[in-house]
Amino acid sequence: MRIDGSCHCGFIKYEGEADPEKAVVCHCTDCQTLSGSAFRTVVPVSSDTFRMTGGEPAIYIKTGDSGNKRQQAFCPKCGSPIFSTSPDPGPKLYMIRTGTIRQRDSFVPKVQLWSRSKQRWVHDFAATHAVETQ
Amino acid sequence: MKVTGACHCGAITIEGEADPEKVGICHCTDCQTGTGSAFRVSVPIAGSQFKMKGQPTNYLKTTADSGNPRVQAFCGQCGSPIYSTTPGEGQQAAYMVRVGILAQRDQLAPKKQNWFRSARNWVTSLDAVHKNQKQA
Repeated sequence: MRIDGSCHCGFIKYEGEADPEKAVVCHCTDCQTLSGSAFRTVVPVSSDTFRMTGGEPAIYIKTGDSGNKRQQAFCPKCGSPIFSTSPDPGPKLYMIRTGTIRQRDSFVPKVQLWSRSKQRWVHDFAATHAVETQ
Repeated sequence: MKVTGACHCGAITIEGEADPEKVGICHCTDCQTGTGSAFRVSVPIAGSQFKMKGQPTNYLKTTADSGNPRVQAFCGQCGSPIYSTTPGEGQQAAYMVRVGILAQRDQLAPKKQNWFRSARNWVTSLDAVHKNQKQA
């Protein structure tokens, strides 16, 4: 479905196509720190359809457990996290943080990743398959 | 209990005293956008007990339902959210520190949920945690 979204202050705006069946929760410790919360909720958008229509995000490069580098994009004015993606050029996926999507009511997570580091008090979400790592 | 924390890149470190009984979830739409996630988890630390190294970027949020402006501090290098507090120079009365950055987060389970009226409808498993439809 078509989605559009923005950061809290409106500096960053984007649009694209996302499949609600691909929405996930990530419990990895990087997501806990970078969101300041218990887990992150994301959905992939292909670079074919993803468009930034506002300002430029700030980018932080993180090295994941796999050893791969990941760009973490956030608004430099309000700090809202927008997406993560590969630093490489070419076709890729943007993992959009669903909390910034205007249509976020449609994005119910279907899978939980990195459940081995899930906060103990976050009980299993109903009917959401859990994967220990990636 | 003593808490210590850091943003992801380490540019900002904090420490202070936090009461695990005061850890709360906020389901408000500002927190959903500000975390990019389903809700935020925070714990208050009194200003007199809050120490920080590094300088966060401050965003002044003016959309709170109360009408009160709120400073949202985050690391300008990596984007990790650190705390929210009242605007003004110098030490503030309290800092709502984001539990995700704390080393002791495994010991800081939330005891209440605020703004439950805008909670994501799939966050159903926290029924045992007291709910406030709006602010406590």
